[in-house]
Amino acid sequence: MASSVLLGAWVAAGLTLCMFSFLYKDNPFFRFGEHLYVGISMGYTIVRIYYDVMVKSLYTPVMQEGKWWFLIAAILGLLVLTRFIPKISWLSRISFAVIVGFGSGVAIPRIISSNILQQVQGTLKPILNAGQSSFGMAQFNALLILVGVVTVLIYFFFSIEHKGPIRVAARIGIYFLMINFGAGFGYTVMARMSLLIGRFDDLILFASRDYGYASLVLLGMIAFGLFMWERSSTASFGPDQDPRAAVSDARDEHPPQ
Amino acid sequence: MRELADKLLRMDRRVIFVLIALATLIPLLRPIGFPIRISPEVKRIYDHIESLPAGSVFVLSLDFDPASKPELYPMAVALLNHAFKRDLRVVGLTLWVTGTGMAEKVVSGIASEYGKRRGVDYTFLGYSPGGTNVIINMGQDLAATFPTDHYGVRTADLPVMQGVTSLRQVDYVVSLAAGTPGVESWYVYGKEKYGFELGGGVTAVIAPGLYPFLDTGQINGLIGGLRGAAEYETLIGMKGKAVAGMDAQSATHFIIIGLILLCNLFYFLTPGTRIRSFGSAQNSPGSPREAGR
Amino acid sequence: MILFLRRTFPLILTFLFGVAGALQYYIPHPVSEAALTEVSVWLRIILGFAMILGIASLCHVHYAKIRIRAAGWGYSLVVYVSMLATVVIGLWSRGQEEGTGFGWIYTYALLALQGTMFSMLGFFVASAAFRAFRARSKEAAILLVAAVLMMFGRVPLGEYLIPAAGPIAGWLLNVLNTAARRGIIIGISLGGIATSIKIILGIERSYLGGRD
Repeated sequence: MASSVLLGAWVAAGLTLCMFSFLYKDNPFFRFGEHLYVGISMGYTIVRIYYDVMVKSLYTPVMQEGKWWFLIAAILGLLVLTRFIPKISWLSRISFAVIVGFGSGVAIPRIISSNILQQVQGTLKPILNAGQSSFGMAQFNALLILVGVVTVLIYFFFSIEHKGPIRVAARIGIYFLMINFGAGFGYTVMARMSLLIGRFDDLILFASRDYGYASLVLLGMIAFGLFMWERSSTASFGPDQDPRAAVSDARDEHPPQ
Repeated sequence: MRELADKLLRMDRRVIFVLIALATLIPLLRPIGFPIRISPEVKRIYDHIESLPAGSVFVLSLDFDPASKPELYPMAVALLNHAFKRDLRVVGLTLWVTGTGMAEKVVSGIASEYGKRRGVDYTFLGYSPGGTNVIINMGQDLAATFPTDHYGVRTADLPVMQGVTSLRQVDYVVSLAAGTPGVESWYVYGKEKYGFELGGGVTAVIAPGLYPFLDTGQINGLIGGLRGAAEYETLIGMKGKAVAGMDAQSATHFIIIGLILLCNLFYFLTPGTRIRSFGSAQNSPGSPREAGR
Repeated sequence: MILFLRRTFPLILTFLFGVAGALQYYIPHPVSEAALTEVSVWLRIILGFAMILGIASLCHVHYAKIRIRAAGWGYSLVVYVSMLATVVIGLWSRGQEEGTGFGWIYTYALLALQGTMFSMLGFFVASAAFRAFRARSKEAAILLVAAVLMMFGRVPLGEYLIPAAGPIAGWLLNVLNTAARRGIIIGISLGGIATSIKIILGIERSYLGGRD
């Protein structure tokens, strides 16, 4: 196996276990991993912006294809960065006006068409077609969907008082919403567990002999490290004190200048 | 009994962490392999790709980052395996900056397994910022959106892009999405105007929200979460990471169902507990106080 | 003049670009299509610059911590060192990831870190479900039943034990869930359109920032 792959496996397993150490409690291993993640993802984003925006979308079209008018976009982009200079930060409003104005305008007809008209059509069409065949499960479902959509919309209409038939309809709407939230919760659990399964899969792979039992060795090292950290924290602050509380107390006594 | 219930409800959450860890680990080490039922929404994507003739243009937009890799990467692997088996022209891209490396790796990795040539049978266009603007741009002029592919070759010169100047000439688009920009962006800003067929593969968190669009036909199929990926792997006869993860998924779900039932059992064992209705008449939405605002 | 440029000119720009963007959808003329293409290319370039804002902001926060030696400043140093190292290696690799150091950092560091960070939510979801998911009311009971049915019916073991669980979960998703979600989507879309119109007409100005 290539040494870069072997080294990579040890690094990946170590960083994974550093992050998982948070499940015990907040500790330096987790903090290190957390800040490393922030730094690496920022660095990665910078490189991607440089190559995929500056070089591919700006430099190449302007210098190699003669599309000099892209420089106007570059100037508008630079105006965004004036936000860091308080005296001329108002110049960034020009760029934001273009971005937000165009984005809002473009969205209106598309959202009307896809999210409103097509959804209303999808609700009413099966009902209108229901008369052409005998009443079966499909027609029952279509009716349920119509009832659900209408009652949910009534529930969210707060400008009229929810009393009488409106109150009944709103209550039915709430029940539909609860089913939606329940389905959402069930699927969220599925999603979170899937992510966990993915990480454990990698840890199991890196625990194999081919990778030098990386996960197992590093698990032992991090567990030992946490034990030593716990011992030194208890020795410094006493068994009943939270070391983070002591740091915060020190900060209150000597605030940074 | 009440004291026991109280004690158990207050137990250290690390006990629950250990339970979940074991429920995940043991099935991965000792899988059983329960059969996986195929849902109609996943089958529709499979059937659509099956119906595409060789040489059709298939755009796979990998709109996710490493956080969603366990759910969406197996979907990408399965779809690419299927597409390359069917000799489709595959165009990969991503709208999420930190997903670029993963997206490139999966497209070129699966392509090389089938002996596909970069630029001729497939390409990876890379990342472009702007989300919905990228989709609009691609709908107008693909070469203007991606003047070069991820490797620096001019897009207009690629044989795989022959006859494809915009999304109007694309036969099928599947967006594997973990959020926005994602499937919703593709149909609002893409399919709506440029008329290509669209399928979606999403994380389980956002899957329930896309069923209305599946119902209206705005997306022609939906692969939801790791379960959906496992179904697709089963359809193409592949036992990948998604299928392997299903036993662990079952175990963790049952642990959580058990925890929820236990928690409610303890809760109802506590004297004086009764089910009440949501909100009083005075403070409920649409009440006189609410309407008066 | 300055007041016009600071206050009124951006609002005029928002109005012009907003109306143009909305009307373009209904004008299939080649000039209109070409304008849409050009403006969306410009926006992609501008948004690329805007991403630098977020990065610069983060850099400033951590730099401030290092400068005043605030508690945990060592970790901020980790942020800077790792960011600079990634940028240097990325530029050296010319942004390519296949077989390069940049790709190595992405595959073995970023993937592991980001993946693990979000996977920990699995543990917290289980803990929260045990402590807080109680059927205190009729509505909560409905939510609970729907959640349990979904978790049971969407895994192979659940379908193996009770074959009807899968179709029931599917029906819940395709009918009842669809109905509620559709109502939410229509409501949110109407609200979104109202906000977009307010932005274009200059009633909503929070996106401009500042007191003017």
